[in-house]
Amino acid sequence: MASLASRLLDALGPDVVRTAAEDLAVYGFDAYSDNTLPSAVVVPSSAREVAAAVRIARDCGEPVVPRGAGTGLCGGAVPSRGGLVVSFSRMNRLLELDVANRRARVQPGLINLELSNAIAAHGIFYAPDPSSQKISTIGGNVGTNAGGPHTLSYGTTTNHVLGLEYVDGDGTIHRTSIDDCGYDLTGVLVGSEGTLGIVTEIDVRLLALPEAVRVCVAAFPDVESASEAVSAIVGAGLIPTALEIMDALITHAVEAHFHAGYPENAGAVLLVEIAGTHDDVAAGESALERIARAHGALSWRAARDRVERDALWAARKGAAGAIGQIAPNYYIQDACVPRTRLPKVMHAIDEIARDHALPVGNVFHAGDGNLHPLLIFDRREPRQVQAVVDAGTEILRTCIAMGGTISGEHGIGYEKRETLSLVFSTNDLAAMGRVRDVFDPMRSFNPDKIFPSGAACGEVGAPIVERTPAPA
Amino acid sequence: MIARKGRAAPAAGELRLGGRAPARVVEPADADELAAALGAASAAGESVVAFGGATLQQTSNPPRRFDVALRTTRLNAVYDYDPRDLTCGLGAGMTLAALARTLAQHGQFLPLDAPRAREATLGGTLAAGWGGPRRLAYGRPRDLIIGATVALADGTLATSGGMVVKNVTGYDMAKLYIGSHGTLGILTRVNFKLLPAPAAQRFAASPFEDDVRERLIAHVRSLPIPPTALVLRDAYAAHADPEDRRSSPQVTALFEGSASNVERAIRDYRSALGAAGVAETRLCDGEAAKTAFAALLDAYVAVPATSFTLLRRGVPSEAPRRALHVREALARSTAEAAGAAQGWETITDLLTGDVVARFILRAPGVDEAVAACAAMREALDGAQLIAASDALTPHLDAWGSVPATVATMRALKARFDPGDVLAPGRFVGGI
Repeated sequence: MASLASRLLDALGPDVVRTAAEDLAVYGFDAYSDNTLPSAVVVPSSAREVAAAVRIARDCGEPVVPRGAGTGLCGGAVPSRGGLVVSFSRMNRLLELDVANRRARVQPGLINLELSNAIAAHGIFYAPDPSSQKISTIGGNVGTNAGGPHTLSYGTTTNHVLGLEYVDGDGTIHRTSIDDCGYDLTGVLVGSEGTLGIVTEIDVRLLALPEAVRVCVAAFPDVESASEAVSAIVGAGLIPTALEIMDALITHAVEAHFHAGYPENAGAVLLVEIAGTHDDVAAGESALERIARAHGALSWRAARDRVERDALWAARKGAAGAIGQIAPNYYIQDACVPRTRLPKVMHAIDEIARDHALPVGNVFHAGDGNLHPLLIFDRREPRQVQAVVDAGTEILRTCIAMGGTISGEHGIGYEKRETLSLVFSTNDLAAMGRVRDVFDPMRSFNPDKIFPSGAACGEVGAPIVERTPAPA
Repeated sequence: MIARKGRAAPAAGELRLGGRAPARVVEPADADELAAALGAASAAGESVVAFGGATLQQTSNPPRRFDVALRTTRLNAVYDYDPRDLTCGLGAGMTLAALARTLAQHGQFLPLDAPRAREATLGGTLAAGWGGPRRLAYGRPRDLIIGATVALADGTLATSGGMVVKNVTGYDMAKLYIGSHGTLGILTRVNFKLLPAPAAQRFAASPFEDDVRERLIAHVRSLPIPPTALVLRDAYAAHADPEDRRSSPQVTALFEGSASNVERAIRDYRSALGAAGVAETRLCDGEAAKTAFAALLDAYVAVPATSFTLLRRGVPSEAPRRALHVREALARSTAEAAGAAQGWETITDLLTGDVVARFILRAPGVDEAVAACAAMREALDGAQLIAASDALTPHLDAWGSVPATVATMRALKARFDPGDVLAPGRFVGGI
């Protein structure tokens, strides 16, 4: 039988299919560290081309991995068994905009921020805004059910997806809507990390831009006191649109890079955004400032105008990049805990990092209890690499013990699949496995992702067909 | 099999579906007992229908087989509620009213917006896929759930999600069980994120004349501070004096938020109504507003005389036109049914796009009802049944149409419930 590459070339032509080694190299990795080359890449312009490629891959017995911008942090876009990568860089259009009903239909390759920019003139926006929004795609966001700093009041990607078009394992194109009768296929496809089908169109919900927005920055002596303030704010029933914490290490890195105006002498800074009517914003700010000061805030300052506000946000969203400038390597985690546990868990993370002699930076969505400790290390030092692995596992176990979970917004991907069984029982995973059995009985969509490979969850991880061993 | 403490066991006859009673009723004390009962029934080849408050049972078809009614009523515990976390984990058999009372003590609420909150359970509301008029403001039930445990047909319990507000750990299984009408599993525990209760609530009701309808809709749809609920209600009574047959349609709105916002929103709303030529608005606050809103929710599934009610979901801009078409169809059906027809009602949700239409008969006229239902479905371009008199349920299909993705849905059903134990035949496409 002809190879995957030659059959794809025959069917779709050289304009759509990439097979040269130098072309494939850029599709072998995402923001996670692993790297495996696919045997072919297609860059389709339509769902029909996606479907044709999926059918050929199926006939060749090759896996299929969808890819947005490759910004995922967990190896979700890494073609761990080679095969076919479907890149959405050409399917990047806003197809329909329905301003009256606040809906849009987009292609998966549309860059997240470009959607909000394109529709701002109508007084509406697309709420999910992961920090990667300048480069990450809405299709990729759908794959991981991406969050972002505004999840606190707006929810994650799944709360903004009204329907999908997807290609199944047989190469058939389907359309779903959350308003249709029947099982909510949309809901289970969002966040399935490309393991159930390939999404080719997305219907999204849009929101009205608020009348007023205010961004404030409070300085705290340390992360624990800032965390206590956040727990108290949520506990008081206040839900601003964002509550973000950066510790001293992150704040220094961010200020050195962006000069956004964060207080550099603070042990931690709290970034607060309040949106709504002018009255809401004014009342919200005074209530929040009162709680912050009662929990040890050293200063409280509101951004004067939109420019200052945007600068603070740009710096916050660029934090991971700024750390990249000062650290040889870092490992970012994504655990999520109930919000009353924030001070305790931040203390525990600090101790774990100290025990393993690793510098740690914290930049996180405090209002959601979604933590992002960055463990800083040097990849060339095997002892440090082992320390990061050990400390990382210890942090996850600590978060689970506090009633939390291992991923709030980044996804499980390749990276965390073996830790999934720390959270879920065999029965829990078996139920998820049943969904996969239906959508992807051959385990050809994004294999080695989400589900543990271990024997304890054999029913879930086991392929229907014989498969090659996973790369080490 | 399982004794209830201190109360009489519910008679099987009380839990009829499509005129048929179950062979037996089981009321387990907790999730483990429920899963064991389900597993045992499954092994014995019996079919099982889950019952909460039975308030939305008519939103799906009567089951093909009906051996066991499995009541979740005793699964009403608060498992995990620290108000400072703004989350809670609850037994699926808890009623919406009981939960509302618990949350109100801490100034919190959960806007599931299902009718008959005193009887409706969390599990039943979710299983029925209910979505109420405030879902644009606060999210749908599927947006508020953060974790769930279900009993599966093989007698196992499976959990997904958790007690955190942001979670991408594993598949989002709760989405699959919501709206599955008990055909994939039976919810035993549900976790939600909660909302702080609004400081002020104000309910407004204004009668209007039909000739200002379009202007009114245009004005109230572009308010700077939108209400959290906004519906038009129309009704026609065929038997009344000719003068009273068509009561004035009404626009009703609920405003919620800080006191200053609600005050400003009401001011804007009244001037919008005034500009559209609507003079009179009755307002109520606090408890009275809550009661008025609850009465609106109850109206969605009311079953006056012999009647049935259809729901069409859609986009808000199309709802007024759809509602007009169905009112025309209702008027024709009323005329055709002559003496048998008693009247009709519609609810048009200007925020969510829902259109609800009810045909009311004086006597159990099955043929008239079936004909009217077909005409209404044509006018609405498809619709789901959400309420009906017992005499009509065996004759009206709850779904009316089959989604294009039904093959995938059948495969999911077969994989989760290969013995067709759970609510057989109740769902779309005979699932």
